[in-house]
Amino acid sequence: MNTIMTEKNAAYLNDNAIFPLKSRLNSAPRTAPDTLRGFHTNDWEKCIGCGTCGEICPTDAIRMVERLDLPLVAGAHQQRPVIDYGRCCFCALCVDTCTTESLKMSKEYIYSNTDPDQFLLMPEETWQGRRVEQGYVKTETTDLLDLKRVEMEHLTPKERINSYIEVVRGYSKEVARQEAARCVECGVCTTSCPVQMHIPQYIKSIWEDDIEGALRQVYETNPLPGVCGRVCTHNCEAACAIAVRGEAIAIRWLKRYIIDSAPNDMYELIFNEPVSEVIDAKIAIVGSGPSSLAAAYYLRALGYGVDVFEERPRAGGVMSYGAPQYRLPDDAVNKDIDFIKRIGVNIHTSTRVGTDITLEELEKKYDAVFLGTGFFKARKLNIPGSDNQDVIGAMDFLPIARDFARGLIKLDDINVGKSAVVIGGGDVAFDVARNLIRIQTMKYGQADVKLTSLESFDILPASMEEYTEGMEEGIQFHFGFGPQEIILKNDKVEGLKVYKCTSVYDQDGKFNPQFDPTKGAFLEGEQVYMSIGQAPDLDYIPESLKSVIKIERGKLNTNSLGQVEGADWLFAGGDIKMGPDIITAVADGHRAAQGIDEYLYGKAKKKATSEYYNELRNAIKFNTPDLALKPKKH
Amino acid sequence: MRQMKLFLGPQHPGMHGNASVHLFVDGDIIKRSYLLPGMLHRGFEKAMERKLWVNNISLIPRVCVPEPDINEMAYAQGAEKLLKLEIPERAHWIRMIMLELARISAHLMSYGGLGGPTGHYTLMYHAHADRNSILDIFEKISGARVYHQYIVIGGVRQDLPKGIEKDINAFLDDLESRYIEYRDLGIENPSVIARIKDTIMLPEEVVWELGVTGIGMRSAVGKPYDLRKVMPYARYDQVEFEVPTSTYSDARSRVDIKLKELVQSISIIRQCLKKMPEGPVRVKPSRGQSMRWKVPKGYVYSPVESSRGEFGYYMVSDGGINPYRIGVRGASYPQGLLGIEKYMPGTRIDDCALWVDTMGICSPEIDR
Amino acid sequence: MTNSMSNVEFVKALIIQHVRPHVIDIIDQHQIGFEVDQNEIHLLLLALKNAGWIQMSYLSAIDWPGENKFEVVYVLFNWDKPVYVQLRTKIDRTNPVIDSIIQIYPGAKYYERECHEFFGIAFPGNPDHHKQLILEQWDDIPPLRKDFDPKAYSDRKFPQRTYTEDYSLSNSESTKVEKRKLRKQRAESLKGGKKQ
Repeated sequence: MNTIMTEKNAAYLNDNAIFPLKSRLNSAPRTAPDTLRGFHTNDWEKCIGCGTCGEICPTDAIRMVERLDLPLVAGAHQQRPVIDYGRCCFCALCVDTCTTESLKMSKEYIYSNTDPDQFLLMPEETWQGRRVEQGYVKTETTDLLDLKRVEMEHLTPKERINSYIEVVRGYSKEVARQEAARCVECGVCTTSCPVQMHIPQYIKSIWEDDIEGALRQVYETNPLPGVCGRVCTHNCEAACAIAVRGEAIAIRWLKRYIIDSAPNDMYELIFNEPVSEVIDAKIAIVGSGPSSLAAAYYLRALGYGVDVFEERPRAGGVMSYGAPQYRLPDDAVNKDIDFIKRIGVNIHTSTRVGTDITLEELEKKYDAVFLGTGFFKARKLNIPGSDNQDVIGAMDFLPIARDFARGLIKLDDINVGKSAVVIGGGDVAFDVARNLIRIQTMKYGQADVKLTSLESFDILPASMEEYTEGMEEGIQFHFGFGPQEIILKNDKVEGLKVYKCTSVYDQDGKFNPQFDPTKGAFLEGEQVYMSIGQAPDLDYIPESLKSVIKIERGKLNTNSLGQVEGADWLFAGGDIKMGPDIITAVADGHRAAQGIDEYLYGKAKKKATSEYYNELRNAIKFNTPDLALKPKKH
Repeated sequence: MRQMKLFLGPQHPGMHGNASVHLFVDGDIIKRSYLLPGMLHRGFEKAMERKLWVNNISLIPRVCVPEPDINEMAYAQGAEKLLKLEIPERAHWIRMIMLELARISAHLMSYGGLGGPTGHYTLMYHAHADRNSILDIFEKISGARVYHQYIVIGGVRQDLPKGIEKDINAFLDDLESRYIEYRDLGIENPSVIARIKDTIMLPEEVVWELGVTGIGMRSAVGKPYDLRKVMPYARYDQVEFEVPTSTYSDARSRVDIKLKELVQSISIIRQCLKKMPEGPVRVKPSRGQSMRWKVPKGYVYSPVESSRGEFGYYMVSDGGINPYRIGVRGASYPQGLLGIEKYMPGTRIDDCALWVDTMGICSPEIDR
Repeated sequence: MTNSMSNVEFVKALIIQHVRPHVIDIIDQHQIGFEVDQNEIHLLLLALKNAGWIQMSYLSAIDWPGENKFEVVYVLFNWDKPVYVQLRTKIDRTNPVIDSIIQIYPGAKYYERECHEFFGIAFPGNPDHHKQLILEQWDDIPPLRKDFDPKAYSDRKFPQRTYTEDYSLSNSESTKVEKRKLRKQRAESLKGGKKQ
């Protein structure tokens, strides 16, 4: 043997050998085998502070400590694990369950210190300041997490394109519990949710088959869970700890499962006592979209009288007139809205503020007014030919398609041609295109829909699901082209001329599309649909009011709780405050309820209240959402 | 008649583990004796109820210190019986290799333990040096020397590392080549024979009265009553091995059986390494992350043949995420408690430590 | 292996011949469990011992506080007809008494003693069953009962260990940990209804 284990011994023998050495002795400490479970190392860049290691540790050796020097982003907590080596038994279960593979074990196994206080150590990338060799690491066999989602049944493309049946079938109890069993209860999803729902807790309630508890937990922060369970933009799933190395927990579908499995009488258990008007103050709400209904719900639960004014025959806003029937059927919207009505919110449909009743009257009759009128006007591109009757804005078409889907318009009466070109790359453009596929298939037996957008595929704003499902349904895509002119012949639309779009944003990140006229195309179509954004209709705001408040690009200037600057009795939420999606609208509604309560509670007369009411008030105010965190920039 | 009270252990070079035997002696002869267990009582059965099914893996090897793998095997086997889970083929063979290596290491330690009471320390050092090589192999396979935490519900935690067959075969060849030397050091050594021949008898009626299993039973009853043959678990029915027995049970025949079993274990491991198929080594008990795994309701007794006898876990589940009750049947519980009380009196003080050694008493599994 | 199934059937037939068990539970070809009444235990143990089940492997108890019962379990084995027989019986929890079986299986003496120490079950007929065996100077209720909390006991008896440096970098004004804990408490207080 010509390797001695310590340098000291090798040096001694080399210098003092009694017999002649054939070659100099080397020293190489005994290295442990590759699977050794030694001291831990943790890569702080990868670690998200989920705390799963602390939960599984059998000896309670791992604790999470708060570190405010870490960035505050969605998908991570500002905490890191600390290990008490007096308790650690080196079982490596923490490494096996680490969601990001940041926690590993090294080949180091010797640590000694005379001070027992020095045995609480914080694993970092180095051990005692030195880079060390990796020992035990997680492999696919040892992984204790379930990285693949349980399959969700969808309708096949053939079944989809000639009907408005809901595409996503929904979970059964068995499957929902299996999917809920994948959650590690870390809570990073909550920080990225605009309303900070109690996501890990309601997933656990599903797993424990406690639908009643789950329903209460969901309604604490979101009075439109059936809708969100189908069309939410699910920031939570993007932030999910399991999504780092696998597929995120299907949080949106689990929420839908709770609502679908809750029978109507279970809703009576959400509040321990019936909600009633205990504060002598009334609030008028303009519009019945998600932000309005959320504000109405929370104000009613806080004890105010609430009147909602909706210009269309049905309540719901974009939920009833924008999102397509095959993704958000009427039954789901009605279930949510019915509960809000049952707790005492008065919704006056077919009543337009500005004509049937004016905003000045509302200001006089009510103690506060909330505006949630949304962006319902279609925007059209100003290119030649765009004033033809067969050039249609998305927001003009979608309500008609919705009324058709619910049977209020007959197939013969709907103005849809044999072929169409859809301009736009967002989710709304896909809604338009997929509606057209269905209507054309029903009317003509086949569909011909082309979709073109400035953005190329890699920066397409629409979600991956919409693209995949749209492709299965037969949309033809032309990404990266900019519309130039609508070609007419005898006052009928023939198609759309487009040039190749070389870039959408300039160096400063501003919207400044550049085109290459030498590379163009002509997209044939009997109709052209423009889905390039929507605009608000603020005609109902009188000039006298418009002069004291600020409106920029259709959005009202408000403080963080939605109180309009210049008119403290006026609040706003939803798309006319900031947007961009339904769940942010719900958050706006909750924040506005908080703001209105702060504005009115001190001044108004109050009836005697029960202890439960006080607890409910505190809970609603405690749950007022903060602004959601943005994910880390890579 | 004056009786003096002496304490054998807990600190005694010939004592196994931390248990104390209280002896009342008259001159040289023990008149009354009883074991005082409890110094190694760590409250395992209660602690196991408070952890999840997946967490318990870190607690259970520590029940029996010289041979931890039998604990993991009994626990995993019991839960798999309740789950009605089929584990992959390769996992069964790897489990057998681990169990047999553990058996060899426990036998070596116990045979070396013969050296303590008789003063033959060379035997002890040789045995422990060889045991050390086994622990090195365990370290390569599972990542830790003594408490492996390797056999889990659903198979084994990870596959064997590449090249481990060479290491195992080299070790087995080396051990087998020195088998005769081991016999010469201990059981064929006249000064040891004088202490263990025709002493510390274990007649057949006593076996059935106390409920002794393992080597003690096989040395007295003369039949191959070994769980690996009678009720084969893992893939013991697909390897060939003999179960040595005898009908005259003195200390020497029990030590002799121990050595013969060691040779049989070597042969089993060699067969396993040859017959082992390729494939996955682990299957997860159900979907979901590990802290939410549940085991269906049931009561099951899961026995394993350890080096000292029948070692069993009685597991009760109520369908939840924690075990409801786990009761551990230590293999040497009968001999340790009732045996010492009833059958040690009459022997001499010098034989006391040998009594404890050759009956195969291991105190951690009595105390838990 | 062809005889194994009939071994289990043999046991089942033997037991049914004498009593009507509450539960019969065949786990696999080598294990079968029965739940019977307290007064049938001796009869069945004798019958099994005479039929060849001469080894007593295990004796212990399980605590069912919900039903207010202890369940005493006896595990027997027969090396010639290899089947493990579990005999279980439920006894009253407030005053648990069951006759000792040391006349049938002398080896049960220490198992019963341990059972008394950890559960509080009395075994009349076993002369030393009340003597302390494993727990020295125990001053609390029998520890394997479900209402004994080992953590509370340990906190009472032994000093807590704390470390001076915990590596945290927090600021009491903006601590997120507190807020998360409060939210979690609030959400969990809303649970109710059916438990799994």
